Amino acid sequence: MTEADILHWIRDTSLGVAVRQSRWMFATGETLHFLGLSLLVGGILIVDLRILGFLRHISMRSALSFLPFVIVGFVINMLTGILFFAADPMMYWPNPAFKLKMFLILLAGINALVFTLVEHRHALPLGEDDQATTFMKVSAGLSLSFWLLVLLLGRLLPAFEGSTSFL
Amino acid sequence: MEFLTWLEHTEFSTWMRESDWGHPIVLCFHAVGMALVVGISFMFSARVLGYAKSVSLAAFDQLFGLAWFGFAMNAASGIVLLMAEPRRMPVTPAFLIKMILIVFAGLSVWALSRALEGMERVPAGELKVPTGAKVSAVASIVFWCGAIVAGRLIGYTIGPPPV
Repeated sequence: MTEADILHWIRDTSLGVAVRQSRWMFATGETLHFLGLSLLVGGILIVDLRILGFLRHISMRSALSFLPFVIVGFVINMLTGILFFAADPMMYWPNPAFKLKMFLILLAGINALVFTLVEHRHALPLGEDDQATTFMKVSAGLSLSFWLLVLLLGRLLPAFEGSTSFL
Repeated sequence: MEFLTWLEHTEFSTWMRESDWGHPIVLCFHAVGMALVVGISFMFSARVLGYAKSVSLAAFDQLFGLAWFGFAMNAASGIVLLMAEPRRMPVTPAFLIKMILIVFAGLSVWALSRALEGMERVPAGELKVPTGAKVSAVASIVFWCGAIVAGRLIGYTIGPPPV
């Protein structure tokens, strides 16, 4: 199967057909995508800003307890994102903003995974006013940067429709 | 009306409609501002409604500064988007509904801050959130969601300019 075959197959799935035929599915998906990103950003701000040394009145355990909002927001946006992609895979796939956005989501995921596996248990006991380690701060700074870029690239995606590179 | 027609024909307004980059760049600011305002408002409402009870209300102070920054960014980028379509936007129902919902969202945030007055420094463990504050928190979530729905609908329902 070539790349084009796979894209055609995705386009012809019942999901792709349904989204294209429906008057409301795409617009509803977009609205949910905005709500999902608000949940993700709201939660990640508390976690990452606390690690970076702002919001010192929140213990690390309490800050990290906002992570479920990030996960729920991410799942909403992954599902609605699949819906958008199925509707028009040939537009998204070659789009450079789409490619970079997916790559940055992957990096954000790896960054979160490394933090969870390596630092999470060392971070949990940190109380109010306790400083995170430099490693944790780098991870939090990367996380904020990745998600901000993901948001901007998503918003810019339609502007790159039909292009195959940024230049 | 003459003023709006004049505005629509200014160089800036025309550029916003016809350039490749005017709209996408302004919408970038609008999306980041939305994430700050709505995201932080959601998290604070969650706290008021009983989530993460170990966090004191004062701990959110710095986040409110960021939320206000987002709000200012969206007011400014919103005015720019309005200047791009000064005749079509004000007659688009979704736009008017969005403005009303933002006013209501603002009023519920104000009511929320009134209901919580004096409780900022109460230690998290001793804090009893009054019912009025909880109602205001739910209202703010509903109104922000409504504003997002209406905002998304503007693009789908904006009509031709009035004759």
